[in-house]
Amino acid sequence: MIVSFENRLSRFLGTTAIFIAIILVLFPFFWIFLESIKPPSLGGRPDIWRFEPSWENWGEIVFNSNVPLNILNSFFIALITVVISLICGAPAAYAFSRFRGFQGARYSILAAEMMPPAILILPLFLLLYKLELIDSRVGVITAHLTFVVPVVTWFLIGFFDEVPKDLEDQAMIDGYTRFQAFYKVILPVVRPGLAAAGIFGFVLSWNDLFYSLLLTGAESRTLPVAIAGFWTFRGIELGKMAVAILIAVIPVLILSYSIQKHLIRGIGGSGVKY
Amino acid sequence: MRYPLIITNAAQMHIKYKLILPLVFLLSGIMLYPFIFSLWLSLQDYRLTRINDVQFVGFENFGFIATDQSFLNAMGNTISFVASAVIFELILGLSLALLIQKLVIFKGLVRSILLAPMFITPIAVGLMFRFLLNSEIGIIPFYLLRVGVSLDWFGPELALFSIVLIDVWQWTPFMLLMFLAGLEALPKTPFEAARVDGAGRWLTFFSITLPMLRPVIVVALIIRALDAFKVFEYVFAITRGGPGNSTETIMYYIYQTGFRFFRMGEAAAASILLIIFILVFVILIVNLSRPKVIK
Repeated sequence: MIVSFENRLSRFLGTTAIFIAIILVLFPFFWIFLESIKPPSLGGRPDIWRFEPSWENWGEIVFNSNVPLNILNSFFIALITVVISLICGAPAAYAFSRFRGFQGARYSILAAEMMPPAILILPLFLLLYKLELIDSRVGVITAHLTFVVPVVTWFLIGFFDEVPKDLEDQAMIDGYTRFQAFYKVILPVVRPGLAAAGIFGFVLSWNDLFYSLLLTGAESRTLPVAIAGFWTFRGIELGKMAVAILIAVIPVLILSYSIQKHLIRGIGGSGVKY
Repeated sequence: MRYPLIITNAAQMHIKYKLILPLVFLLSGIMLYPFIFSLWLSLQDYRLTRINDVQFVGFENFGFIATDQSFLNAMGNTISFVASAVIFELILGLSLALLIQKLVIFKGLVRSILLAPMFITPIAVGLMFRFLLNSEIGIIPFYLLRVGVSLDWFGPELALFSIVLIDVWQWTPFMLLMFLAGLEALPKTPFEAARVDGAGRWLTFFSITLPMLRPVIVVALIIRALDAFKVFEYVFAITRGGPGNSTETIMYYIYQTGFRFFRMGEAAAASILLIIFILVFVILIVNLSRPKVIK
């Protein structure tokens, strides 16, 4: 018995539905993986299931393309974005969680999170253009901060809300200042929350196409932009595209698996309370 | 030693303002300033091709956008895209969440697998499905043809619907996540009372589960709808707005206007109309759902 329904029919239907859902989710990954190890001569053949696996596409991508540089760019940009977001977001989230008079501020964080990128990309592009920061990692980081900072802050408010107030009251009785209590007592307690918010922010930055597409060039190109380049009007490189997609997807799946439980509290938790 | 006024003020500032200072500076620089810049931009005739010849034109850009056939078309496409995707995702996500709750074994594993799509970069999802659904090299049309079904997934009739399906594949997990959290947070007593009173499963669902989930449903709906308004990657990856302009969404329209036709003023005006539209939408949803919200 996999599903706990009373009658046999519902049990059967429930199990089947879950089974179908799992196949629908996994099949695209499976097929793209198969494509990545097909010899290039068999690429794009929907009727071929069995073949001698070839790692030619993987070799081409790893040793003979710009993808490693794109990975480095994506990684570096996401990392710096997250670090800045945490440094600015954590103290503010703590203040929003602990002090009166920030009700409006909470909502403006939410509003910032909802801001469509369409409205920010035009001025950001013009500003970065004037500062000669198009095709620079700094430019992309600036753009990514616009959506990572609000999300990270919003997450952290939820995590700080869960820490009992007695903790820093006690610390302050012991002679810590408010800031020391925050820094030395509360921050270590919410470390899992910081990690979860950081990882989520990292994934958001790593996945972005829109800003990166318009703000990067050959030097600072990120992985999603590079992936888009494998299938254009000029031509298709299916096998290589499959490899690049897997490279972009696998680390994110592992990272997000590690924060799943926190994510339910982070998005769900603070959202559900609203 | 005497510090200038602004520094002494900062030193005496309440700790709560000091804590939010870095965030306020950062967000003013990267969001508030660009936002105001955008408002200004929408009133100018600003072409990327002649960046030194910018002229104030008042609300001319708004007039142009509001009567532009392709803007209205993009808006229409986006609205039908958002409505159908979000409704699909809501129903599917809720059903899956209820099913997963009933799982006796493999609960964690099934949840992890079903949540996976929402973490992937949308451009990869777009290209994956462009490949899977392609009429020449795609495996899905290939086997559909074997059973006698011939569909052109990215042809004029189906393209927008295919993009909806792709969005459903990627974002139903988000609804699932929200509803799993929501279901877990529900108190147990009403359900026990219903069972004691002999209420059937459907009655319990419609008269207890659904009303108690209402706030979660509203929040999930708003977040997902706002996100769906930004749809860009699938269109960019697969159809570039075509065939014709049957899949041109509002984000793609703004991207085209600003960065393909270099008309920054008009693009800014379009993005402001988008924000106004979104605001109206949110206020409407919140008000419609307010009377019965359970806190």
